[in-house]
Amino acid sequence: MKITVEFSGGAELLFNNKKSHDVDLPDKDTNWTIANLLLWIKDNLLQERPELFLQDNSVRPGILVLVNDTDWELLGCLDYKIEPRDKIIFISTLHGG
Amino acid sequence: MCSVGDDFDNQTEKLMQKATLTKLSDTCNKCRAEKPCIVLRGKDTYCKNCFLINTVHKFKASLGKSRLIHLNDRVLVWYQIGHPSVALLHFLRTGLDLSTPKKLRFHPIILFVYDQYQLNNKEGKELIENAKRIVSSFGFDCNFISFADYVSNPENVPNLLNSESLFAENDIEKLNLVIHKTSSRTNRNDIKSLLRKKLLIDVAKYWKCKFVFTPEISIDIASNLLSNISLGRGSHVSIDTGFCDDRDDEVRILKPLRQFDMKELALYNNFNRLESLSVRKSAVNPYSSVQDLMAKFVIELQKDFPATVTTIVKTGDKLSLDKNAEVKCKLCKGPVSVSDDLVTSQQSTNFSRFVSNELVDCNKSRQERFSTICNKFDQTNNENELLCYSCTRIYGNFML
Ligand SMILES: [Zn+2]
Ligand SMILES: [Zn+2]
Repeated sequence: MKITVEFSGGAELLFNNKKSHDVDLPDKDTNWTIANLLLWIKDNLLQERPELFLQDNSVRPGILVLVNDTDWELLGCLDYKIEPRDKIIFISTLHGG
Repeated sequence: MCSVGDDFDNQTEKLMQKATLTKLSDTCNKCRAEKPCIVLRGKDTYCKNCFLINTVHKFKASLGKSRLIHLNDRVLVWYQIGHPSVALLHFLRTGLDLSTPKKLRFHPIILFVYDQYQLNNKEGKELIENAKRIVSSFGFDCNFISFADYVSNPENVPNLLNSESLFAENDIEKLNLVIHKTSSRTNRNDIKSLLRKKLLIDVAKYWKCKFVFTPEISIDIASNLLSNISLGRGSHVSIDTGFCDDRDDEVRILKPLRQFDMKELALYNNFNRLESLSVRKSAVNPYSSVQDLMAKFVIELQKDFPATVTTIVKTGDKLSLDKNAEVKCKLCKGPVSVSDDLVTSQQSTNFSRFVSNELVDCNKSRQERFSTICNKFDQTNNENELLCYSCTRIYGNFML
């Protein structure tokens, strides 16, 4: 499943300073949720210091998440089921890594 | 048995609302028609359009209400790392470009203060380049000054502004020459913010600006307020964290973003495709200073009680300056409470510290001992008279 993942507000510093990533998630039997995506990002995209991005199986407080320009709080946060071509943005409000 | 905590536990529900997991509204809180795309304070939902209109309106209202700034006034804008500053530049640019009566009619001058000593040469250069690029994308010129150079030579502002070298290997040594190495991190933070304020005022005066805009948002206000109280600056809360700091006679420092949340501004920037300035940060131990601890405290409380920050900020807004205080502290220019007959808590604290450090001459009568010690206290006290309580704590920790 092809989606786009973006990092901004300083979160990109943890991803080789690259903001936009076109991602092809491997097929799996169950739906892809954001919770699954976070683990996938940790294993496949994150370059350094995972504690600056993840905390307690979610994003670290201070990182905002938008799916197709909608606040993930309106979409069930970690449980949101990812659809093909979704654009998921992680915005750090901590001004850096 | 102590039962203070028990009572409190039963009442917390009444005191501040906990973050709820109730279902959020399906339509925008404002227009009641569109699908919402953002949740603020864990409960208020807005569609993109209403959110953007609201945010801009809130900024204009904060400036408009004060009616301080007049036609063609010059305003120094402190541009910093992070989302709030970029949002501020966008508010200013769109406000200046309006052709309606709501158009902003003053002249902003942008200043970036370089103080990122954790960065290496390459990162420092990149930061400055990015700052320049972002500020000029709004049609403003970006001006620079080095904090370390200012602190070593505050009289030299005209030459330091936009100087070729904004950082040097010995910046930290320069700072250590002024702020004593032995000072606690709490005191260093306090001294740095005093000096930074002085820098902004000095630059504003040099460029004939009557106002300075600083980019603190609600969470900064809340944690500064609590730090202020813990550091004995309680009597200055209203000027330190209020909209307008007018303790300088010529330059007023305004905080036009103090009612905004970080989420509001970060998403405002995202929807407007604005890039903010970010840097690699060194990890800070939250227990190393009062200011860091207060920030941690507020952030963590806010997570479970979304009304935390607004409650603290609103409570702070109810505090006002002691209008009777005529003496200004020679360091922070805040009012120093002096009372003729009543002894203030500051004076009592000073007195007991003084008395505890004095040796008692037992050959004298009680009366004599009392008057000797009072006279001596009055003498030493006169030297400190021009300092507020909190500044007596940091005075001597740095050179002016
Ligand atoms: Zn709406
Ligand atoms: Zn003072």
